[in-house]
Amino acid sequence: MDTKKLTRMSMLLSISIVLGIIESFLPLFDGSIPGLKIGLANIVIIFTLYTYGLKEAILISIIRVFVIGLLRTGLFNYPFFFSLSGAFVSVVVMYLLKKIKIFSIVGISVCGALSHNLAQIFTSYFLLKVNSVFIYLPYLLIFSIPTGIIVGIVSKSLLKYYDFN
Amino acid sequence: MVKYIHQVGLVIMNKNDIKLIVVIFVIVTLSIIFINIFKKTGSFAKVYYEDDLILKIDLSKDGNYKVNGYNGEVLIEVKDNKIRVDRENSPRHLCSKQGFIDSTTQTIVCLPNKIIIKIEGKDQELDGVVK
Amino acid sequence: MKKLIIIFFVLIILCGCSKDNDIYEKNIYVMDTVINIKVYSEKDASDILEKIEELYNEYNILTDRYNSYDDTKNIYYINNILNVGEEVKLDYKLYDLINFSLEFSKKYDKVNIAMGNLIDVWKKYRDSASGIPSYEELNGISSISESDIILNDGNIIKLSDVKLDLGCIAKGYVTQLAGELLESNGFDKYIISAGGNIKVGKKYSSNPYKIGIQDPVDKNNIYKIVNVSNRSVVTSGGYERFYTWEGVDYSHIIDPDTLYPSNYMKSVTVIMEDSAYADFFSTYLFMIPISDGINFVNSNSNIEAIWYGLDGKIYTSSGFSNYE
Repeated sequence: MDTKKLTRMSMLLSISIVLGIIESFLPLFDGSIPGLKIGLANIVIIFTLYTYGLKEAILISIIRVFVIGLLRTGLFNYPFFFSLSGAFVSVVVMYLLKKIKIFSIVGISVCGALSHNLAQIFTSYFLLKVNSVFIYLPYLLIFSIPTGIIVGIVSKSLLKYYDFN
Repeated sequence: MVKYIHQVGLVIMNKNDIKLIVVIFVIVTLSIIFINIFKKTGSFAKVYYEDDLILKIDLSKDGNYKVNGYNGEVLIEVKDNKIRVDRENSPRHLCSKQGFIDSTTQTIVCLPNKIIIKIEGKDQELDGVVK
Repeated sequence: MKKLIIIFFVLIILCGCSKDNDIYEKNIYVMDTVINIKVYSEKDASDILEKIEELYNEYNILTDRYNSYDDTKNIYYINNILNVGEEVKLDYKLYDLINFSLEFSKKYDKVNIAMGNLIDVWKKYRDSASGIPSYEELNGISSISESDIILNDGNIIKLSDVKLDLGCIAKGYVTQLAGELLESNGFDKYIISAGGNIKVGKKYSSNPYKIGIQDPVDKNNIYKIVNVSNRSVVTSGGYERFYTWEGVDYSHIIDPDTLYPSNYMKSVTVIMEDSAYADFFSTYLFMIPISDGINFVNSNSNIEAIWYGLDGKIYTSSGFSNYE
């Protein structure tokens, strides 16, 4: 990887971390629906996916989860594994959908949000083994629509203005 | 109105996106309706024979239940979100004398019949209670 | 770059599996109550729980006042079959328990395990829920003196028709043994709940065990929640087994000095590590005025306590707030 790319990816990583931390201080609905967030960090992920590719997007996602784990949620505890699974699954899903070319970037962002939440809930079910985690599913899913749209629109604009290639 | 949203939507995204969103919306709405039909507020009571859970009772519905205790049948009554032992075979009938319980801090203990009735609710935070 | 990636994934795989604590639970029906034991452990605790059930059953038989068991010289035997002046060998478990209790009584003589004759008189009236024994009746009972019990090298002799009653201290003693058995077998996270007697080990999560203390006046309520680990919580109170005659409540804990049930408070709860001592001290504190009790506990760094007074006021020892 050349220096330019390394530098740019580091910046993207930092931005996604900062966005993630800011979000962690602004819980929606007083935290009554765990895992509900706007997903601003995903703007960076989508940007990376479209600018560089899958590998780079996965890298930034995973490192971001680790760093935020170090700083906010704690490493190797339940929230950490939920975030990790959500981040990983949503990047892969978005990459595959991008390849198939059915949806626009907004639609992909919505799917990214959807799969992120689905992955988190299923991971929490397997780790905690309680049925009650599924109660949050409808609310998380319905919120992935507006949050996905917003993130998608922002990403689209950013990609228009910043062409790293 | 719908057409307006449709047109705005097409500017932001493509047709497939819109279809996706509609589908998600429908699924979510249906599942919320579904969940609320089957939701039961109120707590449960658990009936144990020795260590085994033999019966789980929904306290929101009044009713009568029969379980087999060590000395014979034990009749359980649920009324107004409370539960009690109605009748049992035991020398001093201490079990039915305990009357109704309705909170998680209480337990009905029938030693001769080896039956325990506990209430499980939202306030599970206590590990134990000294009496 | 590649090296970093490899390191990260190796870390994930290595530390990925979080150790899970399973809960092993058992209910034991013994000593007129249900004892609930929960053990938090990665390894199977079923065997040790069986051993603990055996332990409780053994002591149940040994301390039983009302039933005889073949080949066992238990309390019933000592009280009803053993002749005055006759020396017999006791099972070492019962011997140790009686010895322990007598040693405690030497310092705190309100806790008397030889009050069988006195307790029986009050029990008679309590069961019929009417009347109280007369002055003559109380003074006419046979001995309640612990010095009539002689222990010698594994044997016991009684010098009179004194009757042993281990009711108020047996549960705490056995619960302490149960806790020690768990810990010596590598199970250090547990909670043993025996009605008014709870013993907990190391905490199983980031929070200590939350134990509620029942309100003696309103049994549906908890009047205090304490956070404990590696402690025993024991309550003595007059509100579970008592009867009322002519407007006065008579508890089941009898004061050996006045010959009447103690009535200084509604309940007292003791927190200390050893469950046997906790049981003894809760009985002791129930039988002395609250102010004396507070002074006693404050001068003893191992014990904390909370009292529920007759007037409804709550009193605590100086270090009790550590558990709130």
